Amino acid sequence: MAQQIESVGRSGQQSRPVGDVDEVVKITNLSKTFHRRGLTALEGVDLTLRHGTFTSVIGPSGCGKSTLLKIMAGLIPRSSGEILLNGMPVTGPRQDIGIMFQQPTLLPWRTSLDNVLLPIEVKSGSAAAREQSDKAMQLLELVGLKGFEEVRPFELSGGMAQRVAICRMLVTGPSILLLDEPFGALDELTREYMNFELQRICLERDATTFMVTHAIPEAVFMADQVVVMSARPGRIVMIVDVDLPRPRSLDVMTTPEFATLVRSVRRSLDMGDLGADE
Amino acid sequence: MTQVAREHTEPTEMSDAEALWYSGSWIDRIPQPIAILTLGALMLGTWWLVVQIGYVSRILLPGPAETWDELMDITGNILTGGHVGEALWITTQETILGFLSAAVLGIFLGVVVGETRIGQKAVMPYLVAFNALPKVAFAPVFVAWFGFGINSKIVMALFIAFFPVIVSTAAGLWAVDTDTLMLFKSMEAGRWQTLRKLKLPSALPYIFAGLKAAAVFAVVGAVVGEYLGGGKGMGELIRLASQTLRIDRVFAMIFYLGVLGLLLFGAVALAEKKLLFWQKSDTFDIQGGV
Repeated sequence: MAQQIESVGRSGQQSRPVGDVDEVVKITNLSKTFHRRGLTALEGVDLTLRHGTFTSVIGPSGCGKSTLLKIMAGLIPRSSGEILLNGMPVTGPRQDIGIMFQQPTLLPWRTSLDNVLLPIEVKSGSAAAREQSDKAMQLLELVGLKGFEEVRPFELSGGMAQRVAICRMLVTGPSILLLDEPFGALDELTREYMNFELQRICLERDATTFMVTHAIPEAVFMADQVVVMSARPGRIVMIVDVDLPRPRSLDVMTTPEFATLVRSVRRSLDMGDLGADE
Repeated sequence: MTQVAREHTEPTEMSDAEALWYSGSWIDRIPQPIAILTLGALMLGTWWLVVQIGYVSRILLPGPAETWDELMDITGNILTGGHVGEALWITTQETILGFLSAAVLGIFLGVVVGETRIGQKAVMPYLVAFNALPKVAFAPVFVAWFGFGINSKIVMALFIAFFPVIVSTAAGLWAVDTDTLMLFKSMEAGRWQTLRKLKLPSALPYIFAGLKAAAVFAVVGAVVGEYLGGGKGMGELIRLASQTLRIDRVFAMIFYLGVLGLLLFGAVALAEKKLLFWQKSDTFDIQGGV
């Protein structure tokens, strides 16, 4: 609890983990079974997210990547195994977890600013939210939405709405950002630009990020490690480390190193597919 | 086809829905007010003709002219505060009070049904069953319970009007976006916060669809209550007029009941427009005129 408040108080800076300095999230032997459907969604997942790194998760539909993200967010319970965030087990939703979905999920009757302030308002009331409006303004400026504070969602483009959602995720200063196909609903060009922007924001804030995607180039472009999963049961087939220098420009996608990485992710995906079919 | 129409004969911007309907025929080029007036004139003309050639008895179907005269008489009576004016005022009160209580009770029960497992599992089936009953048949019961005065009519209006509000409120609460619900859960929002800050506002378009239906039903309830339970409202006057075969008077009074219904409906629609400024689509405007 004290830790949560601290991470809020530091106006968006990452709070340092207590135990192992580097490990923000540590997942050990995590499994998830949906008993009613007799379905094993996740089996034996081990994963470590280090501070300031970007992790992409890719896999065929039904591989449990979204389930994994929701368990990490404390939104659905795990069946067995352990998840530690900043050394403390995740047992439910927490203020030091930031989350974002494919849809912006903005409240259409609220202005951009009030949407960004929503998590604070829910947690600590309207007065507290008003006090933090300077910080929210700064965040909107960070994502290039200065001057759009009083605009309502229906007047924003898809990309702009997702940028408001980024600010809302960042406003409580979470230690981990969980992104569930955040730009999947946007057109290709906007999506590339948003990925580029997200990279900049994550670098600037030294954020620890976990992103579910189903586009291989996007997964490689964004990540320090690409987690490749297979379906039925969902498990990790391979973790591909990406050591391309940052900040990465879109040009990096034309380099042979990038092509090699994309190929090895592709091969791991195919391997996982064959495994599932047996 | 629509592409061609859009490019060559219709230079202004059309929505896809409009483009689908657009056939390029002469009907599309008539402005809507003129279309409405033309059709109205055609119907009036047919009415006049049918009466004029003596196809039906003037006693059973008075012509447009007689009806207009009677309408003017009634209008004079209402404006000078005569007995029709008093009756209209009573029916108006019954309708408005019936509508307001239907709105309050309907939204409340809708939230109970929409928010609780027991409401969804046990209460909703009963509501659906009750809604299938011919509610008009309850009028004598309400008269027995609440007397011949205004109360039994208010209850009748409430009873007919509040089902659509309950159902639409519950449906609106259930229709809330799953991801946004996840977001609220991730923010550790409580049940009351989720209801107040997310579910109720996003259910408003549904609730208003229910309220618009209720506005029209409330008039029906009040008048039916008056038919069957006496009292002093328009329903009673219409009953008396039809017993003496004053069909022209019946028509004139029905006209004012229509005005009452339209005004109430319009007031709800206006409130909706003010409150739902963030809604750009008008999907829900079509419903409600049940």
